[in-house]
Amino acid sequence: MAKAEVIVDFKGPISFATMEMILNKLRSSEAFNAMKKPAKKRLYGTVVESIDNIYKYAARDQTTARSKKKLPVLAIKKRGKEFIVTVGNLVTNDVVEDLKFKLDRVNQLDNEALKSLYEDVINKEAGVDDNGAGLGLITMALRAEKDIQYSFSLMDQTHSFFQMQITINE
Amino acid sequence: MEKLVIEPTFNSPSVILDPESNQFDFSGESRPENVRKFYLPILEWLDGYAKEQSGMSRSERSSNLIVQFNFEYFNSTSAKYILDIFKALNVLNDLSLKILVKWLYEEDDEDMLEVGQEMSRMSKLDFEYINTDA
Repeated sequence: MAKAEVIVDFKGPISFATMEMILNKLRSSEAFNAMKKPAKKRLYGTVVESIDNIYKYAARDQTTARSKKKLPVLAIKKRGKEFIVTVGNLVTNDVVEDLKFKLDRVNQLDNEALKSLYEDVINKEAGVDDNGAGLGLITMALRAEKDIQYSFSLMDQTHSFFQMQITINE
Repeated sequence: MEKLVIEPTFNSPSVILDPESNQFDFSGESRPENVRKFYLPILEWLDGYAKEQSGMSRSERSSNLIVQFNFEYFNSTSAKYILDIFKALNVLNDLSLKILVKWLYEEDDEDMLEVGQEMSRMSKLDFEYINTDA
């Protein structure tokens, strides 16, 4: 397998300022600038939605994340014609089932069914800023080339480390 | 109604709602830190505008309203509020205002075109799609 080119490899607390730093790094990379505009926008959107997903689901108790050396991670790599976005963060165990349900749901649906789910969710959720029914995940699934890969590693009674991987074609 | 002008930033769009010229414009990138805080004043302004128009006689009302959307990118949370804007515009449509929505997209940006088509269908407003590279 071809060696992956690392475009962004970030580990640390995620704030709005770090999101800008990550996006700037992506925008200034050669690999990103060599992409065609539609793919570029898909990758950019995927990174934004991935970070938003950390905001929504990350365990509020960041002291635990630090003590367990499980800070959020975000990596963007290019392998062949694929861009792979990997994002991970500590979540509380009570959101695991909800996240699994939403991820399995978007992975099982074809594009037409995803669009129909998008319509249900956007109309239901309009104007509400909660964890929601996963409009970001639906949007990512619509743009991604493959299923969203994910895993949960149980850390202790209250926390798990959640990781997902989204692939965008060049 | 006073004209509403919001200057763009690197993560929020430019918004101009001008009742004098009957032209509403949205352009740029939308992923503000607090999406609700950004879009709420816009939705409130549109609500006030609709109330003002509904209190007028048909001859006093604005006749044509041109609403232009020229987004480079918007995140999924913004999408919810953008759909709310279209729903608010549809209320104006019911007041017999003729609303022309112009949805701008770059030639090869099929995702942006498709989102516009979905927004049009969901809000039941007719859009004119404009290829900015043509």
